[in-house]
Parts: sequence; C-alpha cells; structure tokens
Amino acid sequence: MNSAPKPESATSEVLLSISDVQKYYPIREGALQRVAGHVRAVDGVSFDIRRGETVGLVGESGCGKTTLGRVVSGLTDATGGAVHYNLDGTLSQIDHLQDLQARQFRRNCQMVFQDSFASLNPRHLVLDIVGRPLRVYNEASSGDLVERVVELLEQVGLGRQHLYRYPHQFSGGQRQRISIARALALNPEIIVLDEPTSALDVSVQAQILNLLNDLQAERNLAYLFVTHDLSVVRHMADRLVVMYLGKVCEAGETQSIFAAPHHPYTRALMAAKPDLDDDRAGENVKGLDGIVPDPARPPQGCRFHTRCEMATPVCGWEVDDVVRWLEDEPGMFEHLSGVERQSEFNAELAFDSEEAAAKLSMAIRSESVPAAMKSALKRLKLDGHKVDIEFEAVDEVQLTARDGGRLASCVLDPDEVAAKSQ
Amino acid sequence: MSEITDSNFEKASVRDTAFRVRMRRFFGVLQRLTSNPTTVVGLVLIALMLAMAIFAPWITEANTPDAYQMPRDWGAVRKPPGTPGHWLGTTNEGGDVFYGVIWGSRTSLQLSLYVVGSTMVIGTIIGSVAGLVGGWVDEVLMRIVDVFLSIPELIFALAIAAVLGPSFTNIIIALAMVIWVKYARIMRAQVIQIKQNDYVDAARVIGDSKLNIYLKDILPNAVTPVTVQATLDMGNVVLIGATLSFIGLSEAGIAEWGVLVSEGQAGIASGRWWASTFPGLMIFLWALAFNLVGDGLRDALDPRTEGR
Amino acid sequence: MLDATQASENVASVRDLKVHFQSKRGVVHAVDGVSFDIQDGETLGLVGETGCGKSVTGRSFLRLLPVPPGILAGGAVSFRPHGPCTACEGAGCEACAKTGRRASGDQPVDLLSISLQDMRRIRGDRIAMIFQDPGKALNPTLTIGAQMSEVFLQHRTAELLDRAGLPPDTAGAVRRFAAQEPRFGDGLILKFPPKRGQRAKLQVALNQMVTEALAETQVPNPAKLMDRFPHELSGGMRQRVMIAQALACNPDLLIADEPTTALDVTVEARILELIRALQQRRKTSVLYISHDLSLVRRICDRVAVMYAGRIVEIGTTEDVFANPRHPYTRGLMAAVPTAGTARGKLAAIRGTVPELVDPPLECRFAGRCPYETATCRQNDPSLQPVSGGHSVACFIDHPTGSQDAPSFDRVTE
Repeated sequence: MNSAPKPESATSEVLLSISDVQKYYPIREGALQRVAGHVRAVDGVSFDIRRGETVGLVGESGCGKTTLGRVVSGLTDATGGAVHYNLDGTLSQIDHLQDLQARQFRRNCQMVFQDSFASLNPRHLVLDIVGRPLRVYNEASSGDLVERVVELLEQVGLGRQHLYRYPHQFSGGQRQRISIARALALNPEIIVLDEPTSALDVSVQAQILNLLNDLQAERNLAYLFVTHDLSVVRHMADRLVVMYLGKVCEAGETQSIFAAPHHPYTRALMAAKPDLDDDRAGENVKGLDGIVPDPARPPQGCRFHTRCEMATPVCGWEVDDVVRWLEDEPGMFEHLSGVERQSEFNAELAFDSEEAAAKLSMAIRSESVPAAMKSALKRLKLDGHKVDIEFEAVDEVQLTARDGGRLASCVLDPDEVAAKSQ
Repeated sequence: MSEITDSNFEKASVRDTAFRVRMRRFFGVLQRLTSNPTTVVGLVLIALMLAMAIFAPWITEANTPDAYQMPRDWGAVRKPPGTPGHWLGTTNEGGDVFYGVIWGSRTSLQLSLYVVGSTMVIGTIIGSVAGLVGGWVDEVLMRIVDVFLSIPELIFALAIAAVLGPSFTNIIIALAMVIWVKYARIMRAQVIQIKQNDYVDAARVIGDSKLNIYLKDILPNAVTPVTVQATLDMGNVVLIGATLSFIGLSEAGIAEWGVLVSEGQAGIASGRWWASTFPGLMIFLWALAFNLVGDGLRDALDPRTEGR
Repeated sequence: MLDATQASENVASVRDLKVHFQSKRGVVHAVDGVSFDIQDGETLGLVGETGCGKSVTGRSFLRLLPVPPGILAGGAVSFRPHGPCTACEGAGCEACAKTGRRASGDQPVDLLSISLQDMRRIRGDRIAMIFQDPGKALNPTLTIGAQMSEVFLQHRTAELLDRAGLPPDTAGAVRRFAAQEPRFGDGLILKFPPKRGQRAKLQVALNQMVTEALAETQVPNPAKLMDRFPHELSGGMRQRVMIAQALACNPDLLIADEPTTALDVTVEARILELIRALQQRRKTSVLYISHDLSLVRRICDRVAVMYAGRIVEIGTTEDVFANPRHPYTRGLMAAVPTAGTARGKLAAIRGTVPELVDPPLECRFAGRCPYETATCRQNDPSLQPVSGGHSVACFIDHPTGSQDAPSFDRVTE
C-alpha cells in the first residue's frame, strides 16, 4: 500500500493525523475457524484534523466511516497504518503511548454516539454519568463534584433539576445533551461525533447542531463529524472526506466540494437528496442502481465503477462484473457451472451446455451490457461450453491532488464529470 | 409517547439526593413485586417458613446433643396425629413428625443457602471471565459447561453423592457441582450482550479502568436474570436435595424432610399416612413459594416495565 | 399535477379521527381530531415529528392498531372503493388507466366500523400498506415467491383460474387451493390425477403473475428472486418486493409509512422514483407518511403537517412550502440546514413536544411558538381555510377578535 496523498495542511496546527489506516475484520470459516478472508472495513485512509476545525466524514452504510471514527477515538485498534495525535507539539502514535501520555490522549479525545439511549448506562443517574470522567481523573472532590456537573449541564442547556434523574426520563434530544456534557467534562481538544443527530427529529437536530457550534466557538474544539446526512455535514464541516467501500473517494473544503464535486459518487450522493429550498427538487433526483459490493472482495480499479453511470473502459472492469451481470440476467446464471480464474481480470466461465455459453458470448456483445465494460474486454473466446474472458488489467485508482487542495480518486477530470452528469 | 417534560416530576424536587432517588427506584420494584397477588402468596409462605426456621428452638425444644437429629420416643411409635406431645404423630421409629417438620425447615434453609450462594458466586465469576476474555478461554470454559449440562441434573447429583458417600454435606457438594453451570451460562450471555452496549464504549472513551467498567457498567446490568434464577433455585435445590435424601444419600435419622418422607413411606400401605404427608407438603410449599416469588421478580425487574 | 375531473373525487376521507392510548399516566391523545381527504389519484404527504400521530393515523386505515392499549375514541375513516370503469365496463381504457376500474358512485364504507371479515377483504386488495422496515414486514421463513403468491391466492382467485385455463366455476379442492382455504385431505387430492394437472397449471399461472408483479418494480431477474429468502436481499431490494406485493392487486389506496427511512439516500431516490412512476401509471392514491420535508416536497401533490395529534396545516405542496402559514410548519422548515444557513444559526424550535395526556384547551404549539399571545393559551384553534385548498389551525390567520391576536409581524422574542 503506497501512502496516499493527504489534504494539505500546516503541520503546526494539526491536532490529529490519520495515515493510511486500515481495519480488516477476519472472516472465519469451518469447524477450525480458519481465516478465509478479510472484510476491509477501512482500507487505507489518510487525512488530518486541525485544531478547532470540523472534518465531516460522509458515506453510506457499510462504507467504513463508523469504524474509522472508532479507530480515531481509540476504541478499535487499526490493522494497519497509524493515528498520530499532537501531544505538546509533537505527533505521537496513539497506540504506542505510555502511561501519562496515554492518559493525556484519552482526556483530549472524546466521543458522542448515535444512540443516545444505549450510550448512557440505564442504572446511573445523570450526576454519575456526567461526573464519571471527573471521578476517573480525580478532577473533583465529592463536595465539588455536584457543582462541576451542574456547570457542565448548564453549558449544554440542562440544569440542576436534572441531576438526579435516570436516562430513560429524558427525551432523545436531552439525552444527547447529557452525552455531550459527559464528553466535555475533561475539557477535550477533539470530539468524535458518530451520527449524533440521525436519531433525532429535525427541530431537535437543529438545537443540537447549534449547541455543538456554540461549544466549538467557545472552546476551540475540533470535531470529526461522522454522518450520512449531506445537508448536516455541509452546515457543520469545514472540510469533507467522502468514503465509499472503505476508501476515500473525495476530500477537500466543504464549500468547494459542494460547488463542484469531482467524484461521480459524491455527485450521486448530492443529487439523491436535494435541498429543501432547491426549486428544481422533484425533477432532478437520481439514485444509484445495484448494491454496494462485498467489502471482502472490493472491485478492482475504481471501487465505484460497478454502480457508476459515467464509468469508462479503464475503471477496472473484471470477471466479477460479468458474474454479477449474469446473476441479474434471466435464464443465464442457472447454467453457470464454474468460474476458473487466472487473475481478477482473466477467467474461464464454464456452462453446463454449449448453448448457454454461446448465449453468453452473444449477450455480452449486446446492448444490455454497459458500453464501458464491452470496450474494456480484451478477449472473449467461445470454446465449447466454456467462455474465456479477459479484461484489460488496471491498477487501483489512487487519490490524486486537484486544484484548491482537493483530492479525488476518479480517472475522469472534473470537467468531464460535470459534463457527463448533465 | 415517551416524551418527558418537567411536569412529570412534580414529585421530584431540586432537593433530591442520589440516595432518595435510588430508594424510590427500589421501592418501585418492591411495589411492582407486591402488586401481583400470587407473588404475595409466595412472599407470605417464605416469611412463614423462614420464621419457622429461625424460631425452631422456641417452637420445639432442641434435641440433645445434636438438634438436627430426630428425637426418638420409643414409647410412642406409630402414633397418629393428635396424640398429646406428638401433634403430627410419630414414625415407625418413634420420631416426632412435628419436630421433623420444624427443624427440617432449618436443614432446608441451610441446604439452599449454601448451594445457591456458592454456585451463584462461582457461576458469576466463571461466566464473567468467559464473556469478558472471550477467545479460547471462553471456548474451553463453555465446553466444560456443556459437558455438565448434557447430564440430567438429578442423575448427575445422584452419581456424585453416591461416589462421595451418604452425608448431608455431600448432598450440598453434589448439588453445588451440578448447579453452578446454569449461572455461568446466564452470566456469560449477559456479559457478552451488555459489553456491546455503547455505554461500555463510552466508559472506555473516558478512560475508566477495566475493573471499574465491569463493576459499574456490566455487572449491575447483568445480575437481574441471575437473581431471578437464584430465587427459583432456592426452591428447586430443596426439591432435588429431598429426592437424594429420600433415596438414602443423606445420613439416616436427621431432621430433614426427604429423610422423613423416606422413613414414613413404609407405613403408607398400612394407612399411616402422616409420617410422609406432612414433610412432603412442606417440600411442596417451599418449592412453590420460591417459584412464585421468582416469577414475580422476573416481571418486576423486567426493564420493559421499569420506569415507563 | 391532477386531472381536474378527478380532483373532485375523494378516495378516502378521515373525519375527526381520535385514537387514544391507555397508559399508566393517563389517556394519551395520540390522534386527536384529525380530518382530511385523500383525492383520487393524488399523493398526500403526512409529515410530522416523532410521536405526532402520523403513523397511528395511517395504521387506523387498516385497523392495524393494538387494541388495547389503543382506543378508537371517535371519528370515521370512510373509504370509497373503485368500481368497474363506466366507460369500458372493466375492459380497460384511457379513462381508467387500463385498470378497468375507476372512482365511482359506490357507497363509501367506514373502515372503523365494518366487520373484521370485510376489513380482511379490503386489506392488501383495495388498500395496501408498505412499512419502514421491510425486513420485519416480510416473513423470514418463506421465499419471496411464496409470500408474493399469497396475495394473489387471497384476492385474485378468479383471475388465477382464468389464467390457468380453468373454468371460473371450478369447485372442490382446486378452488380451495386457489382461494387459499385448504381443507384436510386437499393436499392428497391435489397430488393425484386428475387434480394434479390442474394444480400444476395453477402454479404456472401463479408464478407468472408473481414474476410480472416483481418485474414491474424493476428488480433484475425476477424469476430468480422468487426462490430467495428475505435475508438474502439488500434493503432496497426488500423494499421493492414489498412494493410489488402491495401493488399486486392494483389497490385504490397505498399507505406508505416511511418506506425509505432505513435506506441509504442513493437507494431511497430510486425507490421514490419507482413509487412515483407506479402511482402515476396506475392512478393509485398514496398516503405518504414521512418526517422528511424535502422528500415529501419532492413526491407529494398535497401535504398535511401534523403536530401533537392534530393537523396544523394542509394544502397543496406548492402552497405549503412556498407560503407556510403555521408557525410550526415555518419552524420545521427553518430547522433543516440548507446551503444558505449560516453555521450555528439554525432556527431551532425551542422546547419539546408536549405531553398528550389529557391536553388542556389551548393551542398545542403554545409554549414553543415565537408568536404566541394570551389568546393562544385560552382557545384551541381549529383547521380553517386561508385560501382554496390551503387550511391552517392558527390564530394568526383566524383571529378570535380579541386585541392580542398573534401575528407574524409581532415576534415576542
């Protein structure tokens, strides 16, 4: 894995630096639990978070954004790569920290979870919950504790009357405020916000977002805002990192990305959810076909090419694409008896009859196959009941630097993307 | 409709303390427990039998030198109930059934407390270790548990007691060896489920120690089903224990309900029903009472009914 | 977006619907006097936040409420099923969108008072419903084909027999199979000739109908999908199956309860497109329940905004979104972050939704409303028209005559 370029930033103010982080989960099979493969939840992600800024991490379910958030907050160890944290001016790798430094990192990096009910112990009173970090670090004596907790509660818009209540006695928005108060207790420098408002109604979401903004302004906090909601992230984030299937597909300044997305996936995300005040709403809404591919076997080339409507012949077409296409084709997949792969791009498809094999070789030249896939086809040889298929081998599409500090991993340049989406 | 506003807390005031709120919650559970009539019946029965065990020396004079040995009145064998001095009759060997019933409650209480107490602690520790550590430790512990669970309770206890030899202590040991696996099983499942909760992650993010997280977050939320099981077992243990005693795996002649049933059974065919019936009834009531309370407790502690 | 001729007909009208729930703290007025019409062929959006009663309203159409603790405290939901098209007598023509059915003068039925047997006949046939979580609404132990077949067996017996080439007066075991009313021993009879052949014919016809229904929701390779189990499908695919199942019998009304909330945005867009296309082609009326304003704006003809068990504003989508008259609607729209909103300046609605246990006689939004005056605390506003088809329950547009009526010009904060 060659280290991908990062969004530019001056090192002096970098608070947290993620470099080429990978998180693989083993898939175990059989009675002996042998490792049969890995789910690549996060597959080589790099970016920095500066002091006092909000970085938005967006993507759909299964893209690895939540896993990455957990790696950053130290809840999960990365399989590869490293997270560095700025401790007194030097960047130190967080899983190599010793006693005092480990405590210092722990205090400075806090987290707010999506499910406000599950993230508060149902048997603890608000006083216990918010006061717990103070107790752990002996920050407050028992007499002092109540006052400190009240102070924190008041900062998040709650008060003394809420001290002696259980979490289930609060509404969702109030519970999220309690979570925020707990995260603030140790006066951290960065908070990982994992979908903090997705379970809330819009009017409550607005309250929480305003609160987060006020707190950031007061305390110069940095946020890693993990969410699937583009309208929220546009409102909150200074910079944006868009993830798809474990990889970053686009990163840069929020405003500039929203003005002109360079990656077709980013474009698709934005087109799927028009603004409330967008007058063209209704006509221009597009979605994506197909499903997110299996992260244990991510597509070659560009990971998005299987669903991309502007895919080109060099986007990484492979044998799996033919198999996937076969699955959706009536009366074909049933006759497929075996796939013998030489590589990801070259394989022999065996059918149970010569007829079916001939049908495939005909069909693959027809209109029902994406034109880009057809052009990428290097060899298609019909041999009895077997079909030999070979595609042009393509390297993984890397993130490349664009104008204005932007990064995107698409073989097309921005103008082409914009032109094709018209 | 779970929206809560301040209006619901007229009862709660700013002068609340953590202690008061926790007591309110405790009394809430108690109130739910006592709102179920069958649970109340169970509680009353338990209270009566506990009183019986505690005040045994005042109800009938203790036998000397060993109070747990049945007194033998060889001058009054096979007397029916109502005989002066032997209100519930006597056995073939002149044992006073009334004495056996009263002091038998002490034996039963000892049996269930020792067995349930020890197994609950052992099972909770082993189950927690399996659930927390996971991996091969979990695998090994749970296979052991599976072996224990694969043999029927009564037969297993019988085999152990038979190997150890007939004595009351050995019955306690045999039962403890059989029952701990249940707690280990329950506890492991609970720990695994609870440690996935976000509040455990939240405590880790704060930087709290593993021990603290276990003691504050995992254990208190895991003990509910263990408590319920323990209550049910308080009754079941006496039932199995009595069975073992009945077969003769206990010392002969002690004041124990199972032994007494066994002593009296020879006379049933000749119409002397009392020597077996009264201790048998006590075994039944004991098991019933704890099962009723156990079921009530399960409902009262159910988080779905709590607080809402 | 509506034909002028059809706009006048209502496929359903809800009048003063009240659904209460018994709880420990008292009677919760979850839906408290809701009235609206669903016009023939339109998509009506029902928007509101958690606990406003929108789902309960939707479910009461099919009486899918748990009773108890639910109590149908009053009101009526009258539903006018489509009759045979008068122009073509069921053959299918332009006027009825080739369905052979159109809104007619049929006597409306009150869905809240008809017998359970009649209700069953309407459920899934005349009124269909799709839910938020297709994973829960599909039976995990049956293949997609098997659960789709049930709909046809239940409601399309005659058509099924016709397709299988069997006379419509077929009786006995075959008919019972086709109508899904098996009797003891039928299984055995159907295994042997001559009934066996008829059964096979029926199965072929059934599979054909299921495949066609699935193909309409643009699932790739529907024949293969029929042998799959729900857990093998992605969320978007499951929702397509749900939609195929719901629309299989050409219902007159489709109730969609947040059908895309659990889906990713890119998939959501596709599903919405599909619902919209099917609705326009078949002229089915849709009651679309959602919390998402931008989504409702995109696909609905008219919108009803619910708050605390009441409808506070109803009108055409253009009217409501261009000129919201109720402070709650305004607040809701301002709370959604858009491109122009300055950071940290979202217009949040203060406070929380009130308790619905024995609500006092006052505006439900009082206490959270920036325009509130004493009037709002003394009177309960009712839904009154402000312009053609646009109604609102607020004293700003319907002053009571007292001096301190609220107005948008006078902000109290």
